[in-house]
Amino acid sequence: MSDVAITTLLMFALFALLGSGVWIGLTLAGVAWIGMQLFSSRPAGDAMAITVWGSASSWTLTALPLFIWMGEILFRTKLSESMFRGLAPWVSRLPGRLLHTNVIGCTIFAAVSGSSAATCATIGKMTLPELGKRGYPDDITIGSLAGAGTLGLLIPPSIIMIVYGVSADVSIARLFVAGIIPGVVLAGLFSGYLMIWTALNRDRVPPPDRHMSFGEKVYESRHLIPVVVLIAAVLGSIYAGVATATEAAAVGVVGSLLLSAVQRSLTWQTFRDSLMGATRLYCMIALILSGAAFLTLSMGYIGLPRHLAEFVTSLGLSPFLLIVALAVFYVILGCFLDGISMVVLTMGVILPTVTAAKLDLIWFGIFIVIVVEMAQITPPVGFNLFVLQGMTGKEITWIGKVTFPFFLLMCLMVLLLWWFPQLATWLPSKM
Amino acid sequence: MRRILDWLYDAAAWLAALAMIGVLLMVLLSIVSRQLGFNVPGTDAYAGYSMAAAGFLALAHTLKKNEHIRVTLLLGRLRGRGLRVLQMWALSAAVLLAALFAFYSVRLAWQSYALNDISTGNDATPLWIPQITMALGTVVLLIAFVDEWLLHLRARQPRTVPGEALHNE
Amino acid sequence: QTKWDLPAAYPATNFHSVNLEQFAKDVDKATGGKLKITVHANASLYKAPEIKRAVQQGQAQIGEILLVNFQNEWQIFGADGLPFLADSYDESMRLYKAQKPFLEKKLGEQGMMLLYAVAWPPQGIYTKRTLNSAADMKGLKWRAYSPATARIAELVGAQPVTVQAAELSQAMATGVVDSYMSSGSTGYDSKTYEHIKNWYDTQAWLPKNAVIVNKAAFNALDKGTQDALLKAGAEAEARGWEASKAENTRTQNLLKQNGMNIITPPAQLKADMKKVGDTMLKEWLDKAGPEGKALVDAYRK
Ligand code: NA
Ligand code: NA
Repeated sequence: MSDVAITTLLMFALFALLGSGVWIGLTLAGVAWIGMQLFSSRPAGDAMAITVWGSASSWTLTALPLFIWMGEILFRTKLSESMFRGLAPWVSRLPGRLLHTNVIGCTIFAAVSGSSAATCATIGKMTLPELGKRGYPDDITIGSLAGAGTLGLLIPPSIIMIVYGVSADVSIARLFVAGIIPGVVLAGLFSGYLMIWTALNRDRVPPPDRHMSFGEKVYESRHLIPVVVLIAAVLGSIYAGVATATEAAAVGVVGSLLLSAVQRSLTWQTFRDSLMGATRLYCMIALILSGAAFLTLSMGYIGLPRHLAEFVTSLGLSPFLLIVALAVFYVILGCFLDGISMVVLTMGVILPTVTAAKLDLIWFGIFIVIVVEMAQITPPVGFNLFVLQGMTGKEITWIGKVTFPFFLLMCLMVLLLWWFPQLATWLPSKM
Repeated sequence: MRRILDWLYDAAAWLAALAMIGVLLMVLLSIVSRQLGFNVPGTDAYAGYSMAAAGFLALAHTLKKNEHIRVTLLLGRLRGRGLRVLQMWALSAAVLLAALFAFYSVRLAWQSYALNDISTGNDATPLWIPQITMALGTVVLLIAFVDEWLLHLRARQPRTVPGEALHNE
Repeated sequence: QTKWDLPAAYPATNFHSVNLEQFAKDVDKATGGKLKITVHANASLYKAPEIKRAVQQGQAQIGEILLVNFQNEWQIFGADGLPFLADSYDESMRLYKAQKPFLEKKLGEQGMMLLYAVAWPPQGIYTKRTLNSAADMKGLKWRAYSPATARIAELVGAQPVTVQAAELSQAMATGVVDSYMSSGSTGYDSKTYEHIKNWYDTQAWLPKNAVIVNKAAFNALDKGTQDALLKAGAEAEARGWEASKAENTRTQNLLKQNGMNIITPPAQLKADMKKVGDTMLKEWLDKAGPEGKALVDAYRK
């Protein structure tokens, strides 16, 4: 059977199962099963079990449940409310006002967490209820959260950079540093879009609170102290060499519990609720991750991503067209696979072409991170969309729709990166 | 019967929650041991096993709380018989897939035992022990899906799960 | 036409993976396209610890494993990870020859066969400190990634630290880890020179990657294809050992160019480490039983 026919059949199976309301994790496993049974010489069952176990017990993932738990604890403290009180006076002149909290929150939290799902879940747990309470509309708050959550990958530390660094044989330390400026620029694009959106939708943003003098603003900022202390503790534990980036999540949980105790919101009830809430949210993601791991294995056996990558590299394109083609390739792949799988499955084929085109591998790494970020928010398989569906109960198609402008902003970011490669290469060259 | 089933889902969920605490404790242990200069071999592996246990053992409970996500776009538009047919189809597919998942998870643990598969890390754990959580969790998930399937089959009206209707915009 | 999948754990650019690609091409050519082997490098199909089992159960017909990884299961798999038992390419080859009948027997019992094995470059000590004797290693934050490296730390009084390969770079930068043992090639690939400036060329051991084949899959091939596979394997083995030596020289030069001091261990350090090796050999022999003794006797003969 040709690749086109296999792809068509699998896509049909995917959309049929998803569309008829089969649970997403099971759908992915089902499509993987069909693909492997029909189009590979290996039986699917035992391979599925080995792979699912390997991915579910993989140590690199342990930060995810812990950060989710941290979010559930913080959600039950007064932390988010006080964070908003502290931030409000400073953003009151900015068009969009508190809408920027998602972007600011994700940018800061991205410096703590290496995963986009964890960033999205932790910040969303705090901002979504507060923004809703203050009358900000759902579509823009959820969209901006899904978009900004992806910054978890671009701003160091970042799991995907480690995976790319190992595959491409480039310095992970340099990659981390290279991500900082593009991360801040992308956050700026998100904020800029929020301002434009506000200008066009004035009536949809609640009116500002009363005007404050500078002194009052500074005084109100005292409410930011708990958040700043918590983030400083987590970041500090990484940079002081106390914890690795993955272990820092545990520092975050302990810090949140302490904070919760200090604020007197820690009771047996809130502890139990946060624990069970986190276990369920993590479990929901874990089922999808299991399905995705099996789908990756199945794709590895069938060889679809590899063949597609071989096709792209066989075109003999100019560097610019190569990047455009790769962007399209990864966006398509990203609709169905998660970021890490995409990198692992394709790097062996893509890298020689990239090297031959004399593209800087650090620069290319940042490019890859941005296209993987895009994959996080494209349906049907987009992890930030899943996290947000789990948290808000909104339909995934709707979340995909409200997130689309942020997808376009990331496309713009890729172009900026092409026109100004120094965005990625300047900082590492100073090391 | 109902009480036994609900007890089963809850018990598994409590074990999952304990495993979640286990992840935290294992990671903390690795931080603290480094600071205090003692060594507990295999904390990384144990954290991974605990995480797997947390994920698998909570599967049924999460399903019963309606927190496993799916696309309800079509389900939300149908009424009456159409809704019922589609629900039964989705549940049947889920029962089949959950059965495969459970069967091969049990087989994984069994074969790990038979093949004497031992962790390659510093923990040197026989892998069938942590894999029991995967076998157990997926079997309980299968039971929960069969349970849901029967509940839907017996119901006179199409069952709408609380909150699900709200998910559509 | 038969299609085989070959999972491997190391990136496509690693010399082992390059060798595997060449091996797959050779097989393709020698069998006139009758046996096609697809190499899945970079752990893209199965992760390192899963590959042996995948081959054993037939999920993959052939695969590449790091033998010492499976020491927990059977001590003989870890013989090439014993410090200072075989500390040069020649001795490593002799150890391999002594180890081979044992490996073939064990893998045979598990429904597999050994096609070929290639040594990694010799292991040395990366450290931020200057070492004159083992006493200088006291209190080092030592990355312990295997039972053997953890035991070395204990014996020299260093603090064994658990850090995953993925986080090694950051852990070195922030001081979570200030020393570990590895080859020049792995140290270069992981950019250790960005954080650590000394490498003591102790040549402690040369771990081997082995390519293993599922016996049933092999038996299903016709005689001509089997012979072509075995021949290509033998060639890959010879090529691989040479590639390993070349990689050792190449990466040591690259390390030097990047500011790494490559240091021949001082006499005292060497003597102390030899003692560590003797202790570990004794402990290993206790665990490995008569098989272990037979292996060491055959090697030392
Ligand atoms: Na990050
Ligand atoms: Na996607």
